[in-house]
Amino acid sequence: MGEITLNLLLLQTIAGVALGAIFVLLAIGLSLIFGMLGVVNFAHGAFFMLGAYAGVYFYGLTGNFWFSLLLVPLTVGAVGLAVERVLVRPLYGRGLDYPLLLTFGLSYVLVEAIRIQFGVEGYQMGTPAALRGAVDIGIGHFPTYRLFLIGATAAIVLALWLFIEKTRFGLIIRAGAQDPEIVRILGIDIGRVWLLVFALGIAIAGLSGILAAPTRAVTPEMGIPVLVESFVVTVVGGMGSLAGAVVAGLLVGIVYSLTSLFAPEMAEMSIFVLMALVLLVRPQGLFGRTGVFG
Amino acid sequence: MRDAVDYISRHRVAAVVLFLIAFPWLMPYEALAINILIFGLFAVGFNLLFGYTGMLSFGHAAFLGSGSYFAGMAVVHGSWPWYAAIAAGTLGATAIGLLMGLLAIRARGIYFSMVTLALAQCVYYIFYQADRWTGGENGLRGVKVSAIKLFGVELNFVDPLTKYYIVLAFVALALWFVSRVLASPFGAVIETVRENERRSAACGYDVARTKLVVFVLSAAICGLAGTLRALHLSVVPIDSLHYLTSGHAVMMCLLGGMGTFFGPFVGAAVFLYLEDVVTTWTKHWMLVVGTVFIVFVLFFPRGIWGSILHWVRRGDA
Amino acid sequence: MRYGKFLALSEVSVAFARNTLTAIIGPNGAGKTTFFNVISGALRPSYGRVIFDGRDITGSPQHAFARMGIAKSFQITNVFPQLSTHENVRVAVQMRRARFDILTPRDSLTELTDKADQLLATVGLADARRRPAADLAHGQQRCLEIALALACEPKLLLLDEPTAGMSPEETVAMMDLIVTLAGERTVILVEHKMKLVMGICQRVIVLHHGELLAEGSPEEVRANAEVKRVYLGQGV
Repeated sequence: MGEITLNLLLLQTIAGVALGAIFVLLAIGLSLIFGMLGVVNFAHGAFFMLGAYAGVYFYGLTGNFWFSLLLVPLTVGAVGLAVERVLVRPLYGRGLDYPLLLTFGLSYVLVEAIRIQFGVEGYQMGTPAALRGAVDIGIGHFPTYRLFLIGATAAIVLALWLFIEKTRFGLIIRAGAQDPEIVRILGIDIGRVWLLVFALGIAIAGLSGILAAPTRAVTPEMGIPVLVESFVVTVVGGMGSLAGAVVAGLLVGIVYSLTSLFAPEMAEMSIFVLMALVLLVRPQGLFGRTGVFG
Repeated sequence: MRDAVDYISRHRVAAVVLFLIAFPWLMPYEALAINILIFGLFAVGFNLLFGYTGMLSFGHAAFLGSGSYFAGMAVVHGSWPWYAAIAAGTLGATAIGLLMGLLAIRARGIYFSMVTLALAQCVYYIFYQADRWTGGENGLRGVKVSAIKLFGVELNFVDPLTKYYIVLAFVALALWFVSRVLASPFGAVIETVRENERRSAACGYDVARTKLVVFVLSAAICGLAGTLRALHLSVVPIDSLHYLTSGHAVMMCLLGGMGTFFGPFVGAAVFLYLEDVVTTWTKHWMLVVGTVFIVFVLFFPRGIWGSILHWVRRGDA
Repeated sequence: MRYGKFLALSEVSVAFARNTLTAIIGPNGAGKTTFFNVISGALRPSYGRVIFDGRDITGSPQHAFARMGIAKSFQITNVFPQLSTHENVRVAVQMRRARFDILTPRDSLTELTDKADQLLATVGLADARRRPAADLAHGQQRCLEIALALACEPKLLLLDEPTAGMSPEETVAMMDLIVTLAGERTVILVEHKMKLVMGICQRVIVLHHGELLAEGSPEEVRANAEVKRVYLGQGV
């Protein structure tokens, strides 16, 4: 095992933050969709995977990572728009289980569609040139791309927070999550709001896919463990809270990262142990409450 | 017509078993029929929790898989006789059901589905890591039971038709048990939990305890299905514990008809038969089944059998 | 019998005598629902205690209340929608009469079926026994609520706005029913229509802004200056 120095611990913690950054984004997407529409999106991992593949495709096409970063959420979000309109919309009011079941079936379709289009072998997306290598952050060298991940996620979270807290549309989202009737009475088309929020949640999932792509193998099945991890984060943090998503995402990432330092075989299990602890002590999640997002 | 349906309803176990006795002759080959029996039982166990109690679990593979593994390990590592292996598998799955249930019940509402998925994945990792016992990625091999001695009579377990009827004996027993539970006072209580938890508690029922009991019963039945699968296949693939297997239970139950007695069997039969047929034309079975499932969720949520029952009974005042 | 209790928002300490019919009234937002939820076991009070029949039951789980003999009906109809009307009541009766049992066929427990039929007749739903509860008219569902509450053989019946959404004829019928029921057990009724309860209750408690405004016989309360001020313009 070698020596565990403080530096090593710190580096591993920061690696955990980088890992957690992706979890944060996924949890936020899930939470947005649930908080606003009451839909548990079992296709969230599949959209993450879709984003990764879209990233590979656009990056391959344009050679420009930044441009791809912009295109992916737009295209994946567009798929989200279609899905909400055609598939999810008819199921509102039928009980919480139906939209969940639908997204579950959708995940099968998405995974197989990608297999058909891109094959089963998977791809490797290289790290974009500007972000290769490692940076000396004082306590050691740390991969540049992962630092970028942390920074990008922080920026996205900040932008979302500003959007939800400070803009008119964000106000509508918060109000709509509390009480859709009021929003309707005010003359706002709640259907449009649901459509856009769903698409936003999906777009974020897609964006996290392309952001994560350089750090792992891009395969059609990559979304499945990701789905499980997002659920763990959601249970730990509580649904419907931006702070919860951030804290829980980082916590899960750090727990995983530190466990893989001390006991690598236990790393996968560690996040489930964390979830079990939260369930025993605070079943609604660390920041859990129903209703308002933010 | 309705009177006939009601008569069959009251003798549902006998009706289903009679149908299943004739079933092998409806199927192209016995192995498919056996598979349908096993997954039908799996779906029945799942339906107890989902269709009747209203709790959507995405982790039922944990019970099918652990039932298979415990039974398999009893045979492979312990050289236990077949009946002890079945008992071990069922009990093992029940124990896992109790542990999972204690944690999962604490998760309210939508969290329940997420937690069961996560806990089942946890079970998957445990069995995957314990490869000295379970064979890890390659699964457990060599679960060979070739002869079953019953009351002095030696039955050839390798012969598909004999195997089918032996498996059917267990399935019939399990179905009888499920039917009794559903018809009992407790069966009425579990439906109140599905219909309106608040009202159920206000009437004096301990909802949490009820949910746990159903969860464990469901795990036991799925565990039994798992043990039968291990003996049937002679191997336990690691996929038995995977999320997609949990998904099978969900799909079969919805396709067949949630909250009906015979629905899960219909669902399992349709699902597996369709898979058998479709995979001869294309390897993109997942696309087909996903699309069919979406269509059912949108337009036929009652499932095949559920829709038939509803249509037959709709004149009821 | 004594009950004493503090409201989370402010102090309300009240006692209810056995076999009386008491009404809790007050304008909307007065805290009636919170009070109701505390004494019916849906909420745990932040301060104070709930005492029933001499026993401190504060913080008991919801399902323990019915077993102790405290039954309630909800303000928003809460029945078992896909079960038939008869089955709704039968399963509620079952709580009292049948132990935890997973093997006996419940159809053989005819005493439950008979008792359920009796209760349905009491609330006037005998004709609708086979229909799914979701298909009943609103007024019928309110009656079903009452039947469900009665099924556990309660010593104390808590009714939260039982006439909500009912037509005038239905309201009169419901009030008659309540008076009949009050003869044999303690009934506490939450209502915001003051006129309804004045003629039938032995005691009235008035809440306002989460505080106890007045209590006493209907005449005393009606004459109370504070009450008049609060209800001015609300058609006493």
